[in-house]
Amino acid sequence: MKKTLSKETEMEHILVCLSSSPSNERIVRTAIRMASVFGSQLTALYVKTPQSEKMSAEDRARLGANMRIAEEAGAEIVTTHGEDIPAQIAEYARLSGVTKIVIGIKNTGRKLPYFRPSLTERLIELVPGIDVHIIPDANTSRIYREKRRSLDKSVIPSWKDILITAGLLAAATGIGFLFRRFGFTEANIITVYLLCVLLTSVLTGGYTCGVIGSFLSVILFNYFFTEPRLSLRAYGSGYPVTFAIMLAASILTGTLASKLKAQAKLSARDAFRTKILFDTNRMLERAKDDSEILLITAAQLTKLLDLDAVVFAVKDGVLSSGTAFSKGESLEDGYRGNDKELAAVNWTLTNLKTSGAGTKVFKDAEYLYMPIRSGEYVYGILGISASAGEPDALENSILQSVLGECVLALENHRNAKGREEAAVLAKNEKLRSDLLRSISHDLRTPLTSVSGNADTLIINGDMLDEETKKSLLSDIRDDADWLTGLVENLLSITRISDGSVALQLSDHVVDDVIAEAMQHIDRAGAEHVIEVTAAKEPILARMDARLMIQVIVNLVNNAVKYTEKGSHITVSSGRTDDKAFIRVADDGPGIPDGLKDRVFEMFFTGDNRIGDSRRSLGLGLPLCRSIVEAHGGELVLSDNTPKGCVFTFTLPISEVDLNE
Amino acid sequence: MNKPLILVVEDDKPVRNLITTTLKTNDYRYVFAENGSNAVMEAASHNPDIVLLDLGLPDMDGVDVIKKIRTWSTMPIIVISARSEDEEKIDALDAGADDYLTKPFSVGELLARIRVAQRRIQAPGNDASAQNPVFTNGDLKIDFAAGCAFMGGEELHLTPIEFKLLCLLANNAGRVLTHTFITQKIWGSSWDNDIASLRVFMATLRKKLETGSDSPQYIQTHIGVGYRMLRVEPREKEI
Repeated sequence: MKKTLSKETEMEHILVCLSSSPSNERIVRTAIRMASVFGSQLTALYVKTPQSEKMSAEDRARLGANMRIAEEAGAEIVTTHGEDIPAQIAEYARLSGVTKIVIGIKNTGRKLPYFRPSLTERLIELVPGIDVHIIPDANTSRIYREKRRSLDKSVIPSWKDILITAGLLAAATGIGFLFRRFGFTEANIITVYLLCVLLTSVLTGGYTCGVIGSFLSVILFNYFFTEPRLSLRAYGSGYPVTFAIMLAASILTGTLASKLKAQAKLSARDAFRTKILFDTNRMLERAKDDSEILLITAAQLTKLLDLDAVVFAVKDGVLSSGTAFSKGESLEDGYRGNDKELAAVNWTLTNLKTSGAGTKVFKDAEYLYMPIRSGEYVYGILGISASAGEPDALENSILQSVLGECVLALENHRNAKGREEAAVLAKNEKLRSDLLRSISHDLRTPLTSVSGNADTLIINGDMLDEETKKSLLSDIRDDADWLTGLVENLLSITRISDGSVALQLSDHVVDDVIAEAMQHIDRAGAEHVIEVTAAKEPILARMDARLMIQVIVNLVNNAVKYTEKGSHITVSSGRTDDKAFIRVADDGPGIPDGLKDRVFEMFFTGDNRIGDSRRSLGLGLPLCRSIVEAHGGELVLSDNTPKGCVFTFTLPISEVDLNE
Repeated sequence: MNKPLILVVEDDKPVRNLITTTLKTNDYRYVFAENGSNAVMEAASHNPDIVLLDLGLPDMDGVDVIKKIRTWSTMPIIVISARSEDEEKIDALDAGADDYLTKPFSVGELLARIRVAQRRIQAPGNDASAQNPVFTNGDLKIDFAAGCAFMGGEELHLTPIEFKLLCLLANNAGRVLTHTFITQKIWGSSWDNDIASLRVFMATLRKKLETGSDSPQYIQTHIGVGYRMLRVEPREKEI
């Protein structure tokens, strides 16, 4: 036990972070070497940020090459989405049981204590329990880095933004002229310009327009409203200070506004995502089985991402036909897709990796296929249409979260099923031991009587008169009959309560089954009036005939046992729209309401006052009920008029195409 | 009439004793064998009228004994099986057995089965219909050539399938025919649907043959196994 535990903890899982940096190849190769030395699992993680969309073709190719190197070395390639790279790495590492992280460090030279900690520092902070191996970047990275900087900065405002900025500045200037005419002070005009910059920041994207607007507003103010007018010079000694404060104020206002805007957008997005996930979560919780969970997942995703999806259920590694979804509605049930799509699906199923559109495998497929799995166990394959282009970071994070929820729900289901089975097993175990105890006690009585009576006959046979001999012999026979009936019931019980109910279902004519059962009624029944009323038309019902005969025999024998001699017992059959029913009615004393439910309990025998009630295991009715329920029917007890009781049970009717 | 000779194949001594004692007290002659190879030998040397064969033999499968005997003889074989599993009985019947008994059985049941088998041997025209264009069994009369059947002189209105079924049962009167055997003969296939159809046709056919509650039983249903046409004694009724 200890050994396996320690072995498990020794299992290393190395995570290497991919990037488009030229030095990343060295990092990946180092990680591969480490993995082979430790004999450990290797995962290559790429965190996709919104900025990665703007990656140059060169960078993209380099990233692809690095990914291939990792993949060829047997690494699992994982892409996550998010803006906070260290947080993403840390989260993945925690969830996947990573033990070592290999990451490159940007060799930025001696840098002033910066107010934001570097990526590596933050990562170490976030995952204190994981070894972080840092590989320094070579010098070449500086050029790369600078290039990337400039790329980031090239946020050119759109024409629309420029027009808005220009319009707002013009409006501010116009208002400024008005103010001057009314003789308001310059401070009012400055406020108008500040308002203009604020509006610009709110109405345009990015910082650019806000900053440009700030400068322009200072210049415009200087040009139009300070002495001398219509020149960029200013006579007043206080003006340079005014301009500086105005510039600082407007830049600050602008940045704050656009930050606020970004924040609002982010929180709105988060709220939307949270709501979606909450809804999905609730729906998944309510799902009854695995296939429903898969269908809900696919339906929610199509609704959320507004694209088509298809989901294939996988049971024990075997793919079943898929269901296609569009806008939350299921389109077709037995979706199969063409051969190319199916090849991609099957590849995903066997390799447990994403395939199809947008990946390297089957890239010309129409869908992107992802396995829905936990560990090695695959529950299904989800395909999302790539016709609308690759999903962006938000969509991707939604996709990942919903898939995560889906897997969680599926796992919960599987665990619940396991627990349920264990409970049933335990219950069966208890029943079985109760049964054994009860049987071993009850078997002794008839066996004692059989062997004792036989002994008497062998030893003292000569001394007994014919009548005594006969009564001893008929006792032996009765006991043997009773044992036979018991054995039949026990056999049925083992078949029913073995957990896997091995019903041999076939379509039988109900009256044939009744007729057969009537031949197995106890001899004691000869003193009762037993009538069988046949149905007008032959009724076919799906059943295990042996077990059903047992049910009828038990019910009739019960009626015989618990009613006076000469009572009437009627066995009849009939049908409703979709059910066949068999009814066993007697005109005996009936069963009081308080006991009606208890008669179906195991080992309940009632207080039998009629005839010789010496033995009853109290197995008959519970067994009947479990047999009938295993057939999808129900066994109910009601009162007969004017007295007595009626046991009625239903069976699913089967329609048959007669082969004329 | 000569007392019929019965071969009893049973390895369990108490049960064998029970059977042989029953036979003796009911005026049958018998020989017995304790295992399969002896059974085949006894069957060959004594050429018994009826064989009572237990399926659970120590040396070989009872079904193989049936197959061996069937290579040279059509003597009625009644199979005795301990388990109530239908599969075993069906296998034996398909291998050529005529009838079966399930342990525990009563003495009365055993004797009834033997009588049924006896009637099969004695009944005229128990084989091919080509030699006997008209089949009679109690009040039932089938004219194979004309394609019609009569009950007590009145023509029965049968559908083509029902008539085919009736002929099949009549040609094998006394034998239990399995569902598979019948559906194969009638439809050439034995899907679930065929067997379900067969059950419905049999139920309606029986209703047409057995109109009153006092009319003798012509067709016997063996749940989970098959059907059999019983030989009905011409005048006297028997339960």
